[in-house]
Parts: sequence; structure tokens; C-alpha cells
Amino acid sequence: MNAIMDSMKEIRASEELKASTLQYLSGQRKVHSIPVTRHVLRYALIAVCLLMALGLGGYSVYRKPVSYISIDINPSIELGINRFERVVSADAYNEDGQNVLKGVTLKHVPYGKAIDRLLADEAYSGYLTADSVLVFTVVSDRPDTVIKEINESGTGHAYNAQIYTSDEFCMEEAHQYDMSFGKYRAYQELSLYDENVTVEDCHGMTIGEIQDRIEGCKHHRWSEDDVQQIPENNWGGHHGGRRGHHGRYR
Amino acid sequence: MKSEDDLNRVMNEYADMVRRICFVHLKDRHDTEDVFQDVYMKYLLYKGVFENDEHEKAWFVRVTINACTDWLRNLSRRKCLPLDVIAEEGEALDDTAGQVMEEVLKLPEKYRNVVYLFYYEGYTAVEIARILGKKENTIYTWLSRAKDRLRERLGGEWT
Repeated sequence: MNAIMDSMKEIRASEELKASTLQYLSGQRKVHSIPVTRHVLRYALIAVCLLMALGLGGYSVYRKPVSYISIDINPSIELGINRFERVVSADAYNEDGQNVLKGVTLKHVPYGKAIDRLLADEAYSGYLTADSVLVFTVVSDRPDTVIKEINESGTGHAYNAQIYTSDEFCMEEAHQYDMSFGKYRAYQELSLYDENVTVEDCHGMTIGEIQDRIEGCKHHRWSEDDVQQIPENNWGGHHGGRRGHHGRYR
Repeated sequence: MKSEDDLNRVMNEYADMVRRICFVHLKDRHDTEDVFQDVYMKYLLYKGVFENDEHEKAWFVRVTINACTDWLRNLSRRKCLPLDVIAEEGEALDDTAGQVMEEVLKLPEKYRNVVYLFYYEGYTAVEIARILGKKENTIYTWLSRAKDRLRERLGGEWT
């Protein structure tokens, strides 16, 4: 016991770290404490600017995705979301996904609603069985907002979904293999444990099968991290549900 | 939003603990700095009310562990082992303490958490179970396995 105390006691937060953090928080405090009236004025100004931009041929702004959500179960579908939080692209990365997209309209719909619509679709809901694994993977410069929307849409809770984040670099790599970036992220995780697995192997697997293999590998390699999320609002024995994980919001 | 006085108080109160939890999980100072700031940013924006000091401390433990695990989820960052930090942090330690630290950092993350909270922060297994949202028996099992592993590597006398 003393040995652990001794090994840790010199680990302290430096004065420099404390000072830089307080300085950073001071800046954030100003951003977050702008009066509501100023917020309203700012949003009004933004709205006017957007209208002008749209009026000046800014339709390209509307069409440009700024965030992406990969939704994998076996159908692998990617949604592109514009800065107005509407779906502007919906692409399938396997045959199951293509079949689903033929029957459901997702474009120009707020993405929370689009996800609800997709999961409620008759063709898609056939894949939502008790054994299936539903995985959302987010690429965005504000992943927390997107994750919050997914969680609040109710779909995450209803289907025990897992949520991950990825980045544009991995997304580009995934598309080179004609794979959704959600499934590709799972492949990358599996490849950490199983050097022999290939992208082609994962093409033929559902996301749940990949996750099962990851879990199987983890159990055989104790030295790998078994990181688990803890409900941050947990106090006094309340156990939160299975929760995804997300990147930093800063 | 929390006041500046509150921020200064919790900075003095928990900065070392937050830093140690980051150390147990993360691979270098830059990661630690980012997660450290994230944790205090979450505190700044936290709207809940703490029932008492212990509740507040437990909140910091949970949020820091979660922030670290979030960070480690990013595959590109996860490819490196956390042992790199020893070179930076281990300079001030003697051989024995350095060896213990190294072996603790080699433990799986769930074991590292309970070892740190139990041996360093002095939480009981019941308290750790409540903080981590796990069953008490699970904590006992993790602690027991962690001790076995440390005993295997460090010899029977370390405890």
C-alpha cells in the first residue's frame, strides 16, 4: 500500500497547468456568459447573413455536409448533415443499405427525425433484433452536439445503441475500401487485437459480428484495456444504461 | 455556471487528484492537459448541486475517469501505451517506487482505477462501487486480481 502511495505522491498538477486551465476557463466563461439578448441579436444577425448568403447563390452552403453519421447494424448507411442540421446526403455502403434507402426518404429532414424515420422503417426495423448491435459513429467538429441529439431522439436508448466518434481522415480511408466509416472504425479496433484480420474480412461481417470478435479478443488478452463508461450523473447507486462514448467537445 | 471563487477552490482542492487519474490513464502531458481542461470545463458548466464535499470529490473522480476513457477511445491516440509517461514522471522516484508505478500502469484500466482509488485516495470498496457504478463484489474481484498481478510481478512483500 505504501509502495503505491510512494509511487504516486510526486504526481501533482503543476502550477503552470493550473494557471493555463484557469486562463482557458476564464475565456470560456466569457463565451458562455453572453447575455441572452446578445445571443438573440447574434442569432438574428446570423439569420440575416444566411438569408443573404442563400439569396446570393448560397445554396451550396446548404448542400455542404459539415457532420456525418454512420449508422451500422448490417445495413451500413451514412448521413451527411449540413450546418442547418438537415440531412443532405444518404449513402449506402452495402446491398442491405441500398435496399433500405430505396424505401425511405431522409434528405432535407432534420437528422434526429431522419434517424427516427430510418429506424422505424419497415425494411430497416427487420434488422433490429434482440441480438443485433446498432452502432452510430459520428464525424463532426462538434460531436457532443450530434451525440446529444442522437441520444435525445430516443433511438439510442430504445435500441441500446453504441455511439463512437471518428474523424475525416478515417472516413476517407473507409470510403477507399467502399466501407462505411462506422464499420471501418470497428475494423480498426479489431485490427488492434487481431493482426490477421483484413478489411475484406470485415466487409462480409455485420457490425455486431465485428464487435463480438473484438470482445472475444479482449477476453483473451488481459493486458488490453477494457474501458467502460461510468454514468456521470450516478450517485447513490443509480446505474445508467449502456452508453456510447464520444470525443472531446472543445 | 460556477463562480470564479468556486473554480479557484476546486482547482486547489482536486487538481492533484485529477492530474493523478489522468496520469494513470494517459500517455503524455499534452493529452493530460487537454483532459484536465475538459474536466474543469465540465465543472464550470455543471448545473447540479453537490450534496457535500464527498459528493463533489466523487463527481470529479467519475468525470475525470470518463474524460480519460473518452480520450482513449480515439484509436489514433490509443495506439501508444501509457508507459511513455514514466520517462517524464519517473525521474523524481526511486527505483522501487518507479517499478511499482510501472507495474500499476501495466494493469488493465479497470484495475488501475480501483487500485488508485483504493490505495491512494483511500476509498472503500463500497464507495468505489458507488462511484464507478459497479457492484461491490465486482470491485472486490478487481482489487483481488490487481493485487495478484502486482504480487506476481513485484514479489509478495509489496503490500
